[in-house]
Amino acid sequence: MAVNQLELVFPFDQGFSELLASFKNNFSVNFQAETVNYRVFYDTFDWLLYNNGSALEAHEEGPSRRIYWRADKDGDLKIQLGLRQVPQLASDLAECEFRRQLKSVISVRELLPRIKIKIKRLPLVVLDKNKKVVVRLSFDEHWYFPSKTRAGVVLGKRITIKPVKGYEDEHNQVVEFFRSLQLHEARDNMQKLALAESGISTTEYTTKLNLLLEAEIPAEQALKQVLLRLLDIMQQNSAGSIRGRDTEFMHDYRVSIRKTRSALTQINKVLPRDIISKYNKFFSGLGKLTNPVRDLDVFQIKLESYQRGLSKTAQERLQPLRDYLAQSRAEAQKEFVNTLKSAEYRQRIKEWREYLENPEPTDPPLEDTRKEIYKLADELIWNMYQLALEEGSAITDDTEAEALHELRKTCKKLRYLMEFFQSLYPANKISELIQALKGLQDNLGEYNDLYVHGGILEIFIKQSSDTDAKKACKQMIKLIERRQTKTRRRFAERFASFSSAGIQQEFKDLFVESQKERL
Amino acid sequence: MKVIAIYNIKGGVGKTATAVNLSYLASLDGANTLIWDLDPQGAASYYFRIKAKVKGGAQKLVEGKQGLEDAIKGTDYENLDLLPADFSYRDMDFYVELTKKPEMHLNKLLKPLSGEYDYVFLDCPPSISTASESVFDAADVLLVPTIPTTLSLRTYKQIKKFFKQEHYDSMKILPFFAMVDMRKQMHRLIVEYPPSFMPGVLDSYIPYASEVERMGINRAPLGHFSAHSRAAICYKSMWDEIKSHLYPTA
Ligand SMILES: Nc1ncnc2c1ncn2[C@@H]1O[C@H](COP(=O)(O)OP(=O)(O)OP(=O)(O)O)[C@@H](O)[C@H]1O
Ligand SMILES: [Mg+2]
Repeated sequence: MAVNQLELVFPFDQGFSELLASFKNNFSVNFQAETVNYRVFYDTFDWLLYNNGSALEAHEEGPSRRIYWRADKDGDLKIQLGLRQVPQLASDLAECEFRRQLKSVISVRELLPRIKIKIKRLPLVVLDKNKKVVVRLSFDEHWYFPSKTRAGVVLGKRITIKPVKGYEDEHNQVVEFFRSLQLHEARDNMQKLALAESGISTTEYTTKLNLLLEAEIPAEQALKQVLLRLLDIMQQNSAGSIRGRDTEFMHDYRVSIRKTRSALTQINKVLPRDIISKYNKFFSGLGKLTNPVRDLDVFQIKLESYQRGLSKTAQERLQPLRDYLAQSRAEAQKEFVNTLKSAEYRQRIKEWREYLENPEPTDPPLEDTRKEIYKLADELIWNMYQLALEEGSAITDDTEAEALHELRKTCKKLRYLMEFFQSLYPANKISELIQALKGLQDNLGEYNDLYVHGGILEIFIKQSSDTDAKKACKQMIKLIERRQTKTRRRFAERFASFSSAGIQQEFKDLFVESQKERL
Repeated sequence: MKVIAIYNIKGGVGKTATAVNLSYLASLDGANTLIWDLDPQGAASYYFRIKAKVKGGAQKLVEGKQGLEDAIKGTDYENLDLLPADFSYRDMDFYVELTKKPEMHLNKLLKPLSGEYDYVFLDCPPSISTASESVFDAADVLLVPTIPTTLSLRTYKQIKKFFKQEHYDSMKILPFFAMVDMRKQMHRLIVEYPPSFMPGVLDSYIPYASEVERMGINRAPLGHFSAHSRAAICYKSMWDEIKSHLYPTA
């Protein structure tokens, strides 16, 4: 078994043969057949493990699979896990310390094989006079193939010396031999080296738009950049959404659809009408497909906390509900997948990209097409903020829930506009206002989730014949209603802080006054 | 950690050959594997070219984790270690002690190794000694190689009876047919129609084959020098079958 194996760096550009010859003069060795092994590093789509300094890797040697986990960069202790395969989700694992650690880093995200290193290995053994193996060595070449079309590169050469239990003296002699050649001890940096070769950025993925818009460019150009970035995010997340295991893909996919629609309908005097109506229809259809999946995902996440308010027996009676949720989700997911895999979908997306990438200005222009973007952004944001204030102030303790729903949508539109054009404003100021808005949005969002979840339970109750489960669900609805009341009570306070004189002034400074300064 | 004992009161039925070949196959899966040569004759140690000698005598083994660790030797194969036999076992009647003294119970001796090994194979000596009880307790499965002859079947019945009497879990017992010679009428009959008292007999059986005897000359597991021989393939399918017993859902 490999206990304290020693790994040495061998110069990149030299062959092993000379060294092997000299080694053979000193020890009785036996060469074994060359093998090809793999080291596969697993990570989430957005490299959560790598960015956390942890690593999860599988060593594939013939039919054997070993899985190692390193919790963080500083804890260089790599432990072998008693697993036969890498889990897809943290929740696939039974309750254990590893699951806890993994979950704290990757949350609900799915693990994928991200970096595969091929190790061409020449193993040899040192024998004693009874022809018993007493030390095991290997001369390894680590290869990385960045893509199917690019040639492989050698990341490094290594000599590994593994002691055999009970033969420590022989091991020390071999180590001595290599030490005298002044070879450095290797650090485990293969993943890093491979990443450098791959051109992959481990920090690039973000759902933030991170656009750097220039203030004076025409609105059309700016809007196309925003929409293109949203399309990128959508496409980055479509394969994962189709797989459907990691709910974050669908979430990010869906948010970029919503932002796209919001951009098309709020910034509606820039692009030609026929374009707006065509794509608004298309994305609205897509968005609708994602609604039931996402609602059920969120509900399932929340279910754990809802059912805590029920008795143990009532909780156990919820199995039919869980089955119903799983089945409904599977059906909704299937419909979504069918659409995403259709030729029509691909064609539409392709056309959309072509349209956005085409630099040709719209001719004849619409009212805002050529307006400088900072002016348009100011107007749009300011108007939307006014609308939010108006809607919010009209809400009292006995206003219909419908009004809260409207305000929630308005706040979302405002939020998206602020995010689209974030780079046009001083970073600290705009993010402060986004934070203020977020406080209110969280409250409205929670209220809405509770409303949707009550609705899911109502539908289940209507179609189920299991009286016990129905009874438990009715209890749960009561609990949800109680939470809704509480959430609603907090609204006034949240809205008050969002509409305070101070915040209003800051909105005004940023989106009205700054224009004057510019002039 | 799963403990797999290869056991039969009868001698020369292929226990050691089985322990050596299966432990080798386990190590090929990438599982950390230990084979404990419990037979003072040291046949398993011999197959792995390791001297049947524990420094300081078998007494050392019961002196906690360090005692065991110091005695373990790496074999010629990765992931496969061996705890050698010791000739002095015989003198001190190690086996009697194994059961009588609670601190020498196999279960207890093996416990500190559980983090390190996925499998421990116990190559048991042929005997009816009371020490067997320690093995029965510690083992997750008890593989019983049985030659398909009337006499061997009787022995198997005795083992089962003993299990019942002493209230051991008989589900642990996995018999299989060993040294099967299908040219012999009696072998063929018994293998094809196993008696009703062997309901759990494995589907895989080990044929009588000269390659198995050659293990002694090569001093290596069969899979190492004759991986494609019929007998090697039979050991392989037996190992797969045993794993499906150990991990029913997988
Ligand atoms: N399937 C087989 N075909 C042919 N010969 C075999 C087979 N299995 C074992 N042998 C041979 O039979 C002899 C006894 O086998 P082995 O040592 O494995 O049995 P055992 O049950 O461990 O014996 P003991 O009771 O003495 O420990 C050995 O010489 C071995 O090579
Ligand atoms: Mg034997």
